[in-house]
Amino acid sequence: MKKAYIAIAIMLVLAPIFAWAAEEVGYSEPLENAAEDVGAEEGESIFSGIFPDYSIHGINPYVSAFITGLIGCLIILLTTMIAWKVKNG
Amino acid sequence: MYGISIAVIAYSIKKVGKIDSSKIPLIGIVAAGIFAAQMLNWPIPGGTSAHFVGGALAAILLGPYAGMLAMTSVIVIQCLVFGDGGISALGANIFNMAIVDVFVGYAVYNALRKYNKFPAFLAGWLGIWLAAIACGVEIGISSIFAYKITVTVPTMAIWHGALGIIEGIATMAIVSYIKSYHSEFLPSGVTT
Repeated sequence: MKKAYIAIAIMLVLAPIFAWAAEEVGYSEPLENAAEDVGAEEGESIFSGIFPDYSIHGINPYVSAFITGLIGCLIILLTTMIAWKVKNG
Repeated sequence: MYGISIAVIAYSIKKVGKIDSSKIPLIGIVAAGIFAAQMLNWPIPGGTSAHFVGGALAAILLGPYAGMLAMTSVIVIQCLVFGDGGISALGANIFNMAIVDVFVGYAVYNALRKYNKFPAFLAGWLGIWLAAIACGVEIGISSIFAYKITVTVPTMAIWHGALGIIEGIATMAIVSYIKSYHSEFLPSGVTT
């Protein structure tokens, strides 16, 4: 179990590096490109999330890649912890 | 798509509700690990990138129903918290990655493990491939996209047929590592 947490932590630390590398190749979402090519309008988004595109307002994008990754993992772990508590009474 | 996805989620919750509650933390760790792995977009020169999906891995480590719920939680958080994959596509995204990838991965794995012919590799590969084809079909029949299904399905199938090989290798590597060192976490009879 401990090793699994370490593996997750390593991936989160790597997240900013991957964010940088994706920028280096001029990454943009393939399906979004395709949609643009055929002129599909991305309608006014109804809801774009609390941290749109894994960014936190006013924080460096690489730092936010790490923080948002951590937040995502914590939400999942907390939810399962609650489920576990509920089930075990 | 929403309808199918919600029905499968409900059925999976019912199935998972009966499992040994000591397995619940493992579901959380696998889901968190897959979420973190999906943060890592491997750049592909030419302006695109790909990331690990993990549906087949979740199915092998957790079984299909808990695996389905783990994948669903990853996709729902990506959508609701990080605006990754719009709300209108959420049903389809769950269908492709938490249903097709997970259940195809599990079926392939289960069918091949008795022959010991790289079941985890083929589960990862075919899971991604069929999920991508499902996505191609959905985009092809969607009225928002002008591309015809005869274009979208081959495009998705060709690219993800290749990318799925990497998913297969990663799935096999992770399963074989856990099997070698931490087999107590695996459902009985897991082979790589």
